[in-house]
Amino acid sequence: MARIVQRLPSVSPGRVLAWRVGAVIAALLLTTLFLALSGRDPALLAELVVRSTVGSRFGLEDLALFMTPLVLTGAAVTVTGRIGIWNIGAEGQFYAGAIGAAGIGLFVHGPALLVLPLMTVCGVLCGMAWILVPTLARAYAGVNEIITTLLLNFVAALLTSYLAVGPWHDRVTGALASTARLPVAIPDLWGVVHWGFPLALAVVAALAATLDRTRWGYEVRISGANPEAARYAGIPVRARIVAVMLLSGALAALAGVSEVAGTVHRLQGGIANNFGYFGIVVAVLARGSCLNVLPAALLMAFILDSGIVLQTQQLTASTVLAITGLVLFMIAIGDELAHYRPVSTSRLSTNKGAAP
Amino acid sequence: MGISKYFPGVIANADVSLDVRPGEIHALLGENGAGKSTLMNIVTGIYQPDAGEIVLDGYTRHLASPQEAIRAGIGMVHQHFKLVQAFTVAENIHLGWRDTPARASTKALEARTRALSERFGFAVRPDARIADLSAGEQQRVEILRVLARRARLLILDEPTAVLTPTEARDLFRALRAFRAQGNAVILISHKLDEVMDISDRISILRGGRKIGTFATAHCTPAMLARTMVGRDIVRRDLRARPPGAAPVAVRPVMSLRHVTTRDERGVETLRDVTLDLHGGEILGIAGVAGNGQRELTQVLTGLLPPDAGDVLLDGVPVGAPDPAHFARSGIGHIPEDRLRSGLAPSLGIADNMALREYDRPPIGGRGGYAPHAAQALARRIADAAAVRIPDYAMPIRNLSGGNQQRLVARREIRIAERILVAAYPSRGLDIGAIATVLGYLTDLRDRGVAVVLVSEDLEELLNVADRIGVLFQGRLMATIDAATADMETIGLLMGGRTAAQTGGAI
Repeated sequence: MARIVQRLPSVSPGRVLAWRVGAVIAALLLTTLFLALSGRDPALLAELVVRSTVGSRFGLEDLALFMTPLVLTGAAVTVTGRIGIWNIGAEGQFYAGAIGAAGIGLFVHGPALLVLPLMTVCGVLCGMAWILVPTLARAYAGVNEIITTLLLNFVAALLTSYLAVGPWHDRVTGALASTARLPVAIPDLWGVVHWGFPLALAVVAALAATLDRTRWGYEVRISGANPEAARYAGIPVRARIVAVMLLSGALAALAGVSEVAGTVHRLQGGIANNFGYFGIVVAVLARGSCLNVLPAALLMAFILDSGIVLQTQQLTASTVLAITGLVLFMIAIGDELAHYRPVSTSRLSTNKGAAP
Repeated sequence: MGISKYFPGVIANADVSLDVRPGEIHALLGENGAGKSTLMNIVTGIYQPDAGEIVLDGYTRHLASPQEAIRAGIGMVHQHFKLVQAFTVAENIHLGWRDTPARASTKALEARTRALSERFGFAVRPDARIADLSAGEQQRVEILRVLARRARLLILDEPTAVLTPTEARDLFRALRAFRAQGNAVILISHKLDEVMDISDRISILRGGRKIGTFATAHCTPAMLARTMVGRDIVRRDLRARPPGAAPVAVRPVMSLRHVTTRDERGVETLRDVTLDLHGGEILGIAGVAGNGQRELTQVLTGLLPPDAGDVLLDGVPVGAPDPAHFARSGIGHIPEDRLRSGLAPSLGIADNMALREYDRPPIGGRGGYAPHAAQALARRIADAAAVRIPDYAMPIRNLSGGNQQRLVARREIRIAERILVAAYPSRGLDIGAIATVLGYLTDLRDRGVAVVLVSEDLEELLNVADRIGVLFQGRLMATIDAATADMETIGLLMGGRTAAQTGGAI
């Protein structure tokens, strides 16, 4: 009998994982093929990539540094996804958090134990302020949040550049588009990895617990899946939307705080480094689950880190982007294919009598 | 002939042969999921058969699309009308029609529509917008649209579900005239009396197979019902109380006093409605859909605050109504559109079953949410509803519509300690499932719960309800004793005649 394909209504996580591993392997094989065809030595490049990421202490430190902001921005996008909203503005809220933290760090002097929490609070408030207008517009006027949050990213990026070359510019060293080094820093934990890394992991774990194991999380889930059913159950949907979007802004801002206070130690133009946008990719890879944000962010960090390594080997930035895109593209295909399984029509006849 | 259609995992139609003759009205009966819609979708070119063929006037025809089907003379009027709401009647009639003149003024299209309307005997207003028409008028436009394309076989899917008794009679008169010209009609219906009244022959599907085709003259409703479900239906008199049942409470548990609501445009949707709900009694609400039923159920369940008038719970006015508070007070609500407002389709079955009890122990309590307790609750509800669940984390939309409906009904019955508001609980269900759901309602009544049953099926209301209120344009025309009421009286009230004009009302 001819075999036909059946689309599964829901897929187990294990099935998705298996397809994704296959997808990544397929992407790497394709990459290898094209690198070999263009006269490169894929084995050499692979060895270099492995050595500069998971294969050495410095590589692992780099991975952790990349992962820290990705975990937080990925969580920021995931949390709004729970209520059916896309926060495309994590990049802007990241900048806002960075500005808030840098402002305190530059101009408030005192013991680190006092200044660091103050930087965090100020940065988080700035991030929440950055998403406030899109939030209210969405909750009370139904304005599409994708556009408003996205457009504010450019405002935030330009504001950061203005501060870094203008009023907050470091006049001592004269570095381009940068403030002076902040007098306080998040203490290092392991090599260059600072305490922001475990904190980010803890924040995501707490977030997962909140969304899965509290009444509030349940109400958010219902509000996102069907606002009408939420109203039917007496859940204040608007209040939940406002809270979730502000929380998302805070998470993205926290990534900015950690980057300024722990990794870069100053406010620079372009400091967000697309971490906000990569957060969207992380959230999509995590498929709505907070805990999945961790492996998704790790994969993203690995891709970004490898990209830098490859660029040192005279591969162009475009090539690196193409490889990144290929990996994500194959994963997307794998996710979709995980929904299908072949069925022989002889199986069907055993189910006769069951009508749709 | 010998039509088969497979869907992944199920066979929708197996070797079904159906012959329809010119000059007959052929009724198609079957439970939900018996394969009626699939078969009709094959006949109208929406699906392709996996085996078998369609023979038209002696020739095998391959119908690749609905457009080809209509060119071959087969037209279908679906249960959910496929009209463009913002267009006028004339525009809808001419949309996607080969005979539509390439350049035509509004006036010309309307004149053509008027001519068609007179020729086929379906009165329509060519210049009216679809959105402003009643369901019955929209249906006439749909039928005219199909007839204008020279259909010789007209397929109607539950055409009377949205009509008043008078409108239904008009429709049947027109169908008989259509038949008299040598055309054929396939009528899908759940209403046995209607089928007995209008059809010439009846085919019954069960589990995707055809059980048989019978001449209507040789059929009885009881025999049809039995053949459809494959077992005997126990038709108990649902109004009779078993011994030990709770009596009708003297004091009303909930009262509406001069309640008026308005929609966002300021149009009154309920006008000065006053009624009492008593424990141990089923109050039926009759009326053509769209006459205030939705607003009435929303007011009764705290979803819609009245613009004027009072809602009293145990004689005490409710300040600002809040659906969560109403649910906690023991008021269950089976909403009209269960999928749209009663469930979150993409979430798991456990999450959906917790919707009414997530805020109290064992699931809620101190701000928490216990997934295991939610699953235990879901299991209890599924057991009570006799629905088999393979996986409680599976999205609830993977269940069949009938099973979703049963789960919602049981979930609401669990919390309905005092009042259950059920809006069209039997809509879309087959006879067996309807009997089950109505049994739920009478059990609640016997336990002393006040039940409000909103329905458009008069027979169901007369069988089950103790009192029947009739809504017309937001006004409660009358509340009459179901034991002495007759269909004709209710039908007239539904059409807007006052109690004084009909007589016999309380």
